Amino acid sequence: MSHPTQQDLDQLLAHVERYFEKPLLNAELRLPNHVVLEVEPGEFTEGVIKIYADAWLNARYLTLLAVDEQSHFSLHLLFLLKSHKVALSIRTKLERTNPVYLALSPSIPAAEWHEREIHDLFGIVPEGGDLRPLVLHRDWPRGEHYPMRRDFNEALTPMIQEVPHQFDMPEGAGRHQVAVGPIHAGIIEPGHLRFSVTGEHIHRFDAQLFYTHKGIEKMSEGQPYLDVLTLAEHVCGMCAFAHSLAFTQAIETLAETEIPKRAVVFRAILLEMERLASHFSDLSAICSAGGFAFASARAAYFRELILQMNQQLSGHRFLRGINTVGGLLKEPSGESLTQALKNLAELGRQFSEWRELVLNTDSFLDRVESSGYLSQETARQLGLVGPAARGSGRDDDMRRDFPYQVHTQLPVQVKVSEQGDVFSRMMVRIEEVEESISQVSRLIATLPGGVSFKPIPEQKLVPDKAVIGIVESAKGSLIHWVMLGEKQQVYRWHVRSAPYMNWRGVVHATMGQNIVPDAPLVNKSFNLCYACADR
Amino acid sequence: MLKLFKMWLKAGQLTTSELQPDMGTATLELEKLNQLTRADRKALGRSLLIRHLDVGSNNAEEAELVALSSPYYDISRFGIDFTASPRHADVLAVTGPVTRQLKIAMERTYTAAPKPCLIVAIGDGACYGKPYGKSYACLGPVDQFLPVDVYIPGDPPSPAEILSGLLACKKLLGQEHLVPGTGAR
Repeated sequence: MSHPTQQDLDQLLAHVERYFEKPLLNAELRLPNHVVLEVEPGEFTEGVIKIYADAWLNARYLTLLAVDEQSHFSLHLLFLLKSHKVALSIRTKLERTNPVYLALSPSIPAAEWHEREIHDLFGIVPEGGDLRPLVLHRDWPRGEHYPMRRDFNEALTPMIQEVPHQFDMPEGAGRHQVAVGPIHAGIIEPGHLRFSVTGEHIHRFDAQLFYTHKGIEKMSEGQPYLDVLTLAEHVCGMCAFAHSLAFTQAIETLAETEIPKRAVVFRAILLEMERLASHFSDLSAICSAGGFAFASARAAYFRELILQMNQQLSGHRFLRGINTVGGLLKEPSGESLTQALKNLAELGRQFSEWRELVLNTDSFLDRVESSGYLSQETARQLGLVGPAARGSGRDDDMRRDFPYQVHTQLPVQVKVSEQGDVFSRMMVRIEEVEESISQVSRLIATLPGGVSFKPIPEQKLVPDKAVIGIVESAKGSLIHWVMLGEKQQVYRWHVRSAPYMNWRGVVHATMGQNIVPDAPLVNKSFNLCYACADR
Repeated sequence: MLKLFKMWLKAGQLTTSELQPDMGTATLELEKLNQLTRADRKALGRSLLIRHLDVGSNNAEEAELVALSSPYYDISRFGIDFTASPRHADVLAVTGPVTRQLKIAMERTYTAAPKPCLIVAIGDGACYGKPYGKSYACLGPVDQFLPVDVYIPGDPPSPAEILSGLLACKKLLGQEHLVPGTGAR
């Protein structure tokens, strides 16, 4: 697996440069795989859209974020260029008074939520974009308090009031609305779902999320980077290790340091263990929503076995507190690895029986086939990631498309399924479970020797240099964007989780030809964490 | 169908018998249920219905609550079950630090629950607001807003620890002069 060479990056830069009329304000090639451009504010949107449309570059939208740099705001857009396996950052400066830019979302719908979030939290206006509130609910007064600005005074946080959400729902004879949440009937996280129905048929569906929004990105400001690692592990319990990994890899990139091979292999093992736990939980939920109690209980049992292996390997069921900047805080014991190898072989055998059972139960297949259809085109436009995208025929997986650090140890066969229904998303997970079991077994068997921790050269943690960490979490690609300030404290930390991108997929998939009882099934076929999206 | 039955029979009992929830007084081995004291037995005899209430959690506590209902722990063998509505709840199991945007929903859920209703704070977020602290959107630990009776700290607490805390709730509810909201750890 080779990184792009300096020559490749120069060629890429020359290609991208043509899309901007004025000369680039800055262009940096950060080996091995990150290109950073700075452009004039007036050219930002147009240039970005042209790059996105370039078939040769094959760009995937990653994230859009804003930074308050006191004297001005800066806006950063991230693409993954699949052609080169390179991350491309495009940034521009916006003045503090009247910060406006031309909206990207009319041409790149995937950017819509980020534009709304930046509008909510920074007061930066996407001209021609959607200005409806997203992250901050309607009781937050608009136009004066922007919590992510550096000069925001927490003492002036406005009062909590009850202001109902506004949903754009059709009205008319025979139509009524079904309201669900924010406190749900099962043991799941809070969110408000609203259906417009005639009889059983769903016409329209919308979700009001961000109930668990804690302002974690704000909490990180001015914190030592190791404290922010703890926060990163607590963004989400399901994806705790992936968040931890994305953050540490970003800091390690900044320190320009090589992590011991043994630590990288251990990280790969733990990342796949987390994927197994998450996929078993998803499969259990799909079977439960599809009314197949036995299969659901078995999958829940498999998940429990994985969590117990995690406890043995790392001392924590959710793999918190083992990963740190520079490697691992402690190594899994040899005994726990041997045990895991043995348990996984047995688990694999039981899982193939489970698979056989599920794929031969017609009453269950009848529920999952053709429910919750999402076309490949919609998945592309919304920028879906992970099993949700692969279930709609999108051949995207960061483990292959961004072969860096931990991903170099995971040469996976990307599983893609074309139908775009619940069955398809389930099949992707079933095959990924088998792939992950074989990857973990292979990695444990070929574990290199040496140390699993090497301190990073802290003097290299310079301020004002933005770095990224990209990890394929169980739910899809996960991006942490970090910029340090003085004294190695975090100046700005941005998290773009997979569920953040995929929630709009749930909305679209639910609105197809579905009836109300299928809504939980469609939802569970994505099984997104609210905490990951809300932060 | 025959295949399903075959797997069913082959699976056998998956539920653990090694769990040792702490009853506060003595460690209770599930294998030795017949050696319980009268008081323990009386407390265990009651059923307990739990309404889970996420007020800003990070999904780890939820995962462990779900695990408790998996066949491995099978919480219903202790007479404990999760209910869909707060109106049927003996206990509100609260997870996460209270966020600004869930405060109203939290208060409504508490109002909807019949009293006496015990409040259990599960996890470091609910108990202490850790590791988040406060922000424009995060208000702090649960006991600043609701009268918490039982604290189950942990990051997240393991299923066995949660079970111990819930069994403690049963004991509390078994007491004759219970005044909920007076607090117990």
